[in-house]
Amino acid sequence: MGLEYVRISPGFEKYMPRDYVDLVKYGPFGKQLDVMQMGQFKELVEEHPMCAGCYMAYFIRVFYAALPNPEDTIVLGTAGCARLALSQAAVPFVYGNYGDTNAVASGLKRALSIRFPDKVKDVVVIAGDGGLIDIGFGMTMHSWFRREKFTTIMVDNEVYGNTGGQESGMSPKGLQLKMAPLGKKFDKINAVELAKTAGCVYVARISPTNPKRIAKTIRRAILAARHFGPTFIHAYTSCNIEYSIPTREVLADARKREKQDFKFYEWMTDEVKEFFEELERKEKQEVKK
Amino acid sequence: MYFVADVKENECAKYNCKQCVLFCPEPNCLNFKSGTNSAWVWYDRCKGCEICVYVCSDLLKRHCIEMVMVTPKATAKS
Ligand SMILES: Cc1ncc(C[n+]2csc(CCOP(=O)(O)OP(=O)(O)O)c2C)c(N)n1
Ligand code: SF4
Ligand code: SF4
Ligand code: SF4
Ligand SMILES: [Mg+2]
Repeated sequence: MGLEYVRISPGFEKYMPRDYVDLVKYGPFGKQLDVMQMGQFKELVEEHPMCAGCYMAYFIRVFYAALPNPEDTIVLGTAGCARLALSQAAVPFVYGNYGDTNAVASGLKRALSIRFPDKVKDVVVIAGDGGLIDIGFGMTMHSWFRREKFTTIMVDNEVYGNTGGQESGMSPKGLQLKMAPLGKKFDKINAVELAKTAGCVYVARISPTNPKRIAKTIRRAILAARHFGPTFIHAYTSCNIEYSIPTREVLADARKREKQDFKFYEWMTDEVKEFFEELERKEKQEVKK
Repeated sequence: MYFVADVKENECAKYNCKQCVLFCPEPNCLNFKSGTNSAWVWYDRCKGCEICVYVCSDLLKRHCIEMVMVTPKATAKS
């Protein structure tokens, strides 16, 4: 953070786009803001066209507030609801073809480390359950097998939300959806265990009930990917449209699912654990000073 | 006409709370004024989902947010 190039040269404020000026003056550009200050600073997503009460949109809102280094982050998304908000942020966004995100991110991350050897550029994929675990399954897995150093976040609404309600590998067994009237015949895929087996160094499962915890998880996943290897977050982000959840009950649903099958879970290699212990010790010392 | 959340700011200011602000799915929409210590809604951005009402009324029993009908003209001033 604190990069000089986001600062506006004196006298140029009035020629810069209003949004940019606001992001430097009142937003996260050039400084580290706390997610608990949301609602008191200008956010990286100006606004988005996702449905009323969409908790995938909420997760994305917290994601941008949690980025450790938004000026040097590149977000990759694909077809699916999430890109509707991801493409509205003041952070570079690449639209991967459906299923290709983790292949594109692999090449991008490698190219960035060759082009900017003296700088850290964080690459983060955010895509749906269909994008990552069905149609992009092969590319997701192989990016993990190859130990590519970027973060993958699955915003799991347990359905193909953007195309009107087909079942995905992440839909629960037995469930009927608008375009899966017979009910799903197979179990929900255990994405977190797959990620561990495939070589991720940090893995978490989370329901969006606690912004502080979401932010901490996202920061950890990004920092671990910088230094050690692939990281994965499996986030429950309900689709109130396809699951007919009254919008007022969307947070209640997230709390309920957290108790049922989305209990917070975090796993990391010993190496990563040591890294965070060391980092958190240093941060505490900084605070004491 | 559409439905938006409206914070009863004088009521809200009693609590030094900010909880609803942290759960709205819309960015730059449900904000917090540290001067008056209260939440406030930028009407143009509110989609009327009532998640903030769930937080304030159902979870916290503070009942400081009500849903109101506004006309686009009324929101233009925000
Ligand atoms: C190669 C390809 N196949 C199919 C599609 C059509 N398509 C667009 S979005 C989508 C499903 C999205 O589901 P998911 O990835 O779970 O995201 P969600 O909308 O649920 O967030 C599909 C099948 C496409 N865009 N490209
Ligand atoms: S269809 Fe579902 S996941 Fe997509 S924006 Fe609407 S509520 Fe969110
Ligand atoms: S939850 Fe209620 S009391 Fe708390 S900040 Fe929001 S409106 Fe005010
Ligand atoms: S009704 Fe929904 S969109 Fe409007 S302020 Fe409340 S939580 Fe935000
Ligand atoms: Mg989906």
